[in-house]
Amino acid sequence: MKRSGPLLTLLAGLLVGLFMLSLNATTGEKKTSASVEESPSPKASPPPTTRSPSPSPSPSKSPIPNADYAGRTDDDSSAVAVSLRDGRAIAYFCDGRDKESWLKGDVEDDGSMKLTGKGGAELNGTLKQGKRISGTVDIGGGHYTFTADKAIKPSGLYRATATVRSAKFDGGWIVLKDGTQVGILTKNGKPSPAPEIDPATGAVTVDGEQLTARPVTP
Amino acid sequence: MTVDPNAATQGFPSPPPDHHRPSAARYLVPALVAAAVAVALGVYGKVHDPAGTAFNLAGFSSTGAVKSWLATVAIFFALVQFTSALMMYGKLPGPSWSSTLHRWSGRAAFLVAVPVAVHCLYALGYQTYETRVFWHSLLGCFFFGAFSAKMLLLRSERLPHWLLPIVGGLVFAALTIIWLTSALWFFRTFGVTT
Repeated sequence: MKRSGPLLTLLAGLLVGLFMLSLNATTGEKKTSASVEESPSPKASPPPTTRSPSPSPSPSKSPIPNADYAGRTDDDSSAVAVSLRDGRAIAYFCDGRDKESWLKGDVEDDGSMKLTGKGGAELNGTLKQGKRISGTVDIGGGHYTFTADKAIKPSGLYRATATVRSAKFDGGWIVLKDGTQVGILTKNGKPSPAPEIDPATGAVTVDGEQLTARPVTP
Repeated sequence: MTVDPNAATQGFPSPPPDHHRPSAARYLVPALVAAAVAVALGVYGKVHDPAGTAFNLAGFSSTGAVKSWLATVAIFFALVQFTSALMMYGKLPGPSWSSTLHRWSGRAAFLVAVPVAVHCLYALGYQTYETRVFWHSLLGCFFFGAFSAKMLLLRSERLPHWLLPIVGGLVFAALTIIWLTSALWFFRTFGVTT
């Protein structure tokens, strides 16, 4: 009277699900995700093996804690966000209209960093007590001083890159702790102010299409 | 059921409670399990912080592409399901092995759908920020609940003849809408890409 086939089917599904979940939990954190392709630029992108999925047992080569920082330039014209992971940093400078730069580099053990980006852009900063990064950005002939406080989700640094109907989109967003967003969306190399993202999900509508901006890590 | 002719007159009122309980459990257990599965998935997706990322398969540009193709495979098997079900119920001429086909295409569809759901719930979570996303989230949870109910109902015999087709139809309809709101959307947005 009782057939066991359906139960076995359910059980197999459950096992597959748990197996996938454990795979995700152990190997996650390193690949692109739904609907967003990884940014095309980073040749500095690390081989996945150097990344440890769990923060604790790995021999941490840097005393710098992994964290995100976001703030404004002192002249209030632009925003700066820095994301630190395992002694490496990626930063985004953005005025919300047409001037932006992605910068990368290493963080020294004393918390100082010198990040560089395209076109000679340079960020010099120092991490103070793990609470904020202050420093300078030189970009396109301009010189800016900034202070970026530690950012708690959903504030932080987001990026979305995608190709929609053969148009290349590259968007960067800094979500500040008061909730305001500073972002630029580049379409086929032409920058313009970015539409707002939903900071909870990263969802953003671009040219009528739904994209997802993801938190940026070096 | 055996009937004692001597007890027939007074036996009538008392048996129903006895026979009623197992038959009520026949529906109640699948229904409760279905509700529990659907709610548990939804709560997990809502409560846990979406990871945003998950591992990807080699050869695919993004997990979105992987999921869309897996979901499309699931939909294909679901169509096989629908057809083979019609054969089993004699609505379509079919081979004698149509019930085996139904069983195994169902298993295949389910097992292919599971990794997709795991990724959805792990990396993206239960979201409601858009109509498409809302229905996808809701029906995604509903699908696995309804499927569990369908599997459990299969274990009881003497069900009303309309029950399995209804539940199966619900499962099929849910999966179709899930596919329309995810894979089809993905292919239309990003192109039919791997």
